[in-house]
Amino acid sequence: MVAFKRLAQVGRVVVLNDGLKAGRTAVIVDIIDHNRAIIDGPTTGVHRQEISFNRVTLTDITLKAVPRTIGSNALKRAIIKQGSDAAWAQTAWAKKIQQRSVRANLSDFDRFKIMRLKKQQRFIVQRQMASLKKTKSA
Amino acid sequence: MTQPVRLYCKGRFLGYQRAQRAQTQSSSLIQIEGVNDKKDTSFYLGKRIAYVYRGKREINGTRYRVIWGRISRPHGNSGVVRARFRNNLPPHAMGASVRIMLYPSRI
Amino acid sequence: MAVNKEGAQLIPGVSRLSRSQRYAKRGLFLMKNKVAVPRKASDRKAAARDEKPTDVNVDLVKALTHKKSSLYPADTLRKPKVNHKSNRPAALKETISPGSVLILLAGRFRGKRVVFLKQLESGLLLVTGPYRVNGVPMRRVNQAYVIATSAKVDVSDVTIPENINDSYFSREQEPKLKGTEEEFFGENAVKKAVPSHKAADQKTIDNQIIPKIRSQNMLASYLRSSFSLSKGQAPHLMKF
Repeated sequence: MVAFKRLAQVGRVVVLNDGLKAGRTAVIVDIIDHNRAIIDGPTTGVHRQEISFNRVTLTDITLKAVPRTIGSNALKRAIIKQGSDAAWAQTAWAKKIQQRSVRANLSDFDRFKIMRLKKQQRFIVQRQMASLKKTKSA
Repeated sequence: MTQPVRLYCKGRFLGYQRAQRAQTQSSSLIQIEGVNDKKDTSFYLGKRIAYVYRGKREINGTRYRVIWGRISRPHGNSGVVRARFRNNLPPHAMGASVRIMLYPSRI
Repeated sequence: MAVNKEGAQLIPGVSRLSRSQRYAKRGLFLMKNKVAVPRKASDRKAAARDEKPTDVNVDLVKALTHKKSSLYPADTLRKPKVNHKSNRPAALKETISPGSVLILLAGRFRGKRVVFLKQLESGLLLVTGPYRVNGVPMRRVNQAYVIATSAKVDVSDVTIPENINDSYFSREQEPKLKGTEEEFFGENAVKKAVPSHKAADQKTIDNQIIPKIRSQNMLASYLRSSFSLSKGQAPHLMKF
């Protein structure tokens, strides 16, 4: 029985919590001590750096067979080969982050269009519901 | 007096700028809703701000009165701002809400 | 003014001299509120003609005979300050260009979304609802009272009549009131109607813009609706 599913280990994909690159992923390349690790994100624009575990969140995704202190180029090849970026993009978590940024960047006109479309959707759904209720009760 | 469109942000009058024993009533501290960082205050600097209240007596056919002011600068790092009003806000307005208008607009 | 000289104040904050005494002492009233007027060139010429010296060595004679006056004019003449400022209209905000949809922030039409046509000479923005879409006629607004959105209407081939400028919007002279009781209480007052030529101008502009608005999906209803902040919305985080 494993108590923890997500371990801080070499090859573990992490998400950055804050700063300029918040929301981007990187891979743990080496562990310095209990608090810090070296991460690298050659495919996401996160440069190789030492970072505190407070500033990252571990994900479920791990790269397999990644040696300690793997170089950036080799790491990039491993990420592409194992498809970890694609796997991350599939998660609900990544979708939520994506959605949040899309929502924040909507223009005034976009917000209006969404309001209108939601209204239309609601109208259709509610009409269907009403008719279903009617047939059921009848 | 609910307007059909709200074109102002809500803020709260916290008190005056002060030290341990002295306070500067000409400078009021305002906390704007949704502004939690000094960085975010830059949008609001210079904006007009209104303290709307109700008086007992009608003046010009209305009981509502306004004290106008402007946001002058941030106060500290937590997104609180300082504002100057044409007449200093009365102390009993502490904790009351104020309106931060969207003008003069820079966007 | 030796205000801080010893004895100038009886006690701190109370001057020894009264206001009128101080006024008399300062003697500023001697300074006449005159403005230096440059002498006319023609006067100087006339004077020169009269005193035409007969001697050949003019400079020498002048130097020998010239006596400096011991009398000075008592009043210093004030020179008006040269004003280097000029009234320039405000530069158009970068976010605004002809056809931009703007949100009005104050005034009778606050919250309305309107179409920007052009900047007038005074720097004010000429906008229109268009009137037929949302009831906002052509009017002038200050860009400080406007939020520029990224939405745009194509107004590249809309021609704005030449006569629509700042003076077009200036208030017409109202007929002088006679001051009778009836007028005061607004009896028999005639409601001002929109001048027919203005209505016609509005129509010509509307007719040009409305097809462009209709060509974009939902744009007409967007212009018809008004902007409002709702709960949890902070404008500094919003994109327009």
